[in-house]
Amino acid sequence: MLVLSRHRDESIMIGDDIVVTIVDIRGDKVRLGIDAPQDIPVHRQEVYEAIRRENRKAGQIQPSETRDIGQ
Amino acid sequence: MQISTTRFGTLCVDVDDLIHFPHGIVGFEDCQRWILLADPQNSAVGWMQSAERPATALPVVSPRRFVDSYRVRVTRDQLAGLNLSERDRLYVLCVVGKRDGGYVMNLRAPVLVNLDRRLGCQVITHDDQPLHMALTKPPAPLQKSA
Repeated sequence: MLVLSRHRDESIMIGDDIVVTIVDIRGDKVRLGIDAPQDIPVHRQEVYEAIRRENRKAGQIQPSETRDIGQ
Repeated sequence: MQISTTRFGTLCVDVDDLIHFPHGIVGFEDCQRWILLADPQNSAVGWMQSAERPATALPVVSPRRFVDSYRVRVTRDQLAGLNLSERDRLYVLCVVGKRDGGYVMNLRAPVLVNLDRRLGCQVITHDDQPLHMALTKPPAPLQKSA
């Protein structure tokens, strides 16, 4: 993993069109500003992972199981 | 065209009925073409079936059937991929999951479909909607007392 040191208000570029800026640092919390093209989704990792898990589990359900939903 | 599915057999579908998800669905990023099917037995449930992977299908429900006040709160950028114009019909679906023996729906990451342009995406809402909203029976109509 590439590790870079940055001060507040400094940025890094990822490719040509993604800019990540350190907006604020307070204690152990860092606020990031992310400028990316509209077609690149940006998510908090833990939320994204949770949704991926849910979708994967949903993909195991069979039609025989959904009979009672909403009935 | 024909789509093979492990759950519903081989389906004959119109190419125009396919819904294109340019980014796939979270966890199924390589599946870009899906078809929306009615559940054979339950009108409250639909299935998002991958046109590319026969065994990949997700049960979905219309969230407002269960939570009247549900609103999808996202930024304009998150909807950019849907090419929505004023007259397009937007369909909101939530993926059904299983939890503690019961069924739940994911209100945090609804699937949005532009029915007119056949474009879809799964978005993550920026309010704190639950990942697991219980799909309980809709409340029975109030009985009028005599």
